[in-house]
Amino acid sequence: MSGKPDPRHTRPRGARLTKWVVTAPPTLFLLAFFLAPALIVLVASFQYPGEFGGLAPITNPGDGREHGLTLENYAFFFSDFLFAEIFVKSFTVAALSTLACLVLAYPVAWLIARSPRHHRDLLVLLVILPFASNFLIRVYAWMIILGPQQAVAQAVNGVLALFGLAPVNLLFSPFAVLVGMVYVHLPFMILPLYTNLEKHDPVLLDAAQDLGANAWRRFWRVTWPLSLPGVFSGSALVFIPVLGMFAVPDILGGTRDMLIGNLIKDQFLGVRDWPFGAALSILLTLAVLVLAGLAAWAARPRGAT
Amino acid sequence: MSAPHVGAAPVRDHRRWHRGQGPLLQSHMLVHALRVVTPAQAADTLYLYNWNNYISDATIARFEARCRCRVVQDYYSDNEEMLAKLAAGASGYDLIVPTGNAVEALIRSKQLRPIDRARLPNLKNIKPEFLDTRFDPGNRYSVPYAYTVTLIGYNEQKLRALGLPTDSWALIFEPKYLKKIKGRVTVLDSQRELMAAAMRYLGHSINDTDEARWRRARDLILRAKPYWAAFNASSYIKELTIGNIWVAHGYSNDMFQARQDALRAGRPFSIGYSIPKEGAVLALDSMVLHRTGRHPDLAHRFIDFMLEGANSAELTNLIGSGNPNRDALRYIRREIADNPAVFPDAEHLKRLEMMRDLDRRSRRVLNRIWTEIKLR
Repeated sequence: MSGKPDPRHTRPRGARLTKWVVTAPPTLFLLAFFLAPALIVLVASFQYPGEFGGLAPITNPGDGREHGLTLENYAFFFSDFLFAEIFVKSFTVAALSTLACLVLAYPVAWLIARSPRHHRDLLVLLVILPFASNFLIRVYAWMIILGPQQAVAQAVNGVLALFGLAPVNLLFSPFAVLVGMVYVHLPFMILPLYTNLEKHDPVLLDAAQDLGANAWRRFWRVTWPLSLPGVFSGSALVFIPVLGMFAVPDILGGTRDMLIGNLIKDQFLGVRDWPFGAALSILLTLAVLVLAGLAAWAARPRGAT
Repeated sequence: MSAPHVGAAPVRDHRRWHRGQGPLLQSHMLVHALRVVTPAQAADTLYLYNWNNYISDATIARFEARCRCRVVQDYYSDNEEMLAKLAAGASGYDLIVPTGNAVEALIRSKQLRPIDRARLPNLKNIKPEFLDTRFDPGNRYSVPYAYTVTLIGYNEQKLRALGLPTDSWALIFEPKYLKKIKGRVTVLDSQRELMAAAMRYLGHSINDTDEARWRRARDLILRAKPYWAAFNASSYIKELTIGNIWVAHGYSNDMFQARQDALRAGRPFSIGYSIPKEGAVLALDSMVLHRTGRHPDLAHRFIDFMLEGANSAELTNLIGSGNPNRDALRYIRREIADNPAVFPDAEHLKRLEMMRDLDRRSRRVLNRIWTEIKLR
């Protein structure tokens, strides 16, 4: 027993220990479940497909099987424009979904943030309530809603008929895919926007009004710039999952609605080409990183404004 | 360099959806993989690894009574899932019921125990056309169990009213027919299955890997695609049953279910299905003994039990599956036994082919063609 502890030493050590105890689990979690799998995917993207699916070994197994590392998977991707075209299409769908989510979510988030305090929790609860039921069931519900014999399709085609236009199919179309994507991801846009808008000081708007700004100017010069962090985080939360989504195009899409998520899923579950699926995943990750970098660069603080 | 079960997943894609499995529930595979059966539990327990809903409860109960044993079942919803679980180290299964190309994969990776035919007196019940297949010459490892055919299901009243042929792949490939049913057709979301249909229509084997022929099949598909509503492996049963879709490319078991559902729901129309005269895919599931099973005796007794007509017929009566058992026919309900799509005549049977696996190079060629089909 070494007598009474010296407070000058124990406190920093205690703080260090606390810091370590608090940060270690999430760090380990990220290392084990994010970094390690990402590295596995990276290595897999340079391997050959295995004989019975999976991956061929890297080292020579000594029985004449294919082994080692190769650039073949990437070469296959770049051998023509076909796969890049799917990337472009997927990014377009993701951008459209994000935009639609933003346009729909902003007024909702604003209304929640402006409603009386004791109502807000209830309203936020209502926004996240759909998560209580399974995602696939909700997407299947859209399949019924958009079906050709349902009220929505009947109404749309009724209006089209008034103008002498041919009836359209809502289900199994790019439109249905967009509806599904927006529906599934809308809460991810509403919540960050709401948490941002809720913090705005109403005094700022009063000041702007006193200085003669009309409603549009108050929004455009005060609320919107202040809400940009919420817009960015909401957009990221929508854009990136939409890029990887394969269930919605599978269920609601028509004959031309293959997205990058479907292509990657097929490599693993359909055609047993894990290395090509891994290469696609790596390229998708790179594309998202480049995009995020560009966005950060575009949004960088400029000068002293 | 081939992966014998690559074609298997598309064949069974539908099961993942229709046998109580969500497509996003792949993780249960992992759960299974971790639950290794301990054979020491009971000497009189048969461990059966089977498709979801692929044996009648009554059949199981009868076997348990006869052998005074217990049957423990685990389930899979596609061949790939089953192979992956075994590859992950699951052991102790006495019996598995994979499709032909997965049987081939299991044989080639030396996971199976040879069958002792002397202990299977009822093997004589199997029709010779289902024996001695290319995936297991001489049936050293496998005993046929049941089969499905990939074919065309249709709304009988609509198609009769429109005067369209229901006995040919032309129905889903020829614009002159398709223009009358535009947006009312779905085809399977499976590279191998759709290409197989197109290849048969063009007069080639489903296992032909000639690239020029594949490209002609692609052109045929692309010409027909604007008239199709969707690539669909998951919901065509429902869409047929409620009348949104009039023609679907799919599996005979599923069409049987769609027909039953439409009947039970009292729809003003009925669902029919038939094998196109150009030929189609036949997926034969067989019973095999896994090397790690501890009860080969019991497993042999079970196989012989399932080879009895009455027991084998029970499955067909339950899910409308094809039955390779000669002796089963007299126990099968008339409307199934008389259905030429479930029990094709010799003429049609000759044009049914079992899918072989592609080597990885062919897989990539097909993969690229498929992506093009999906994108254009």
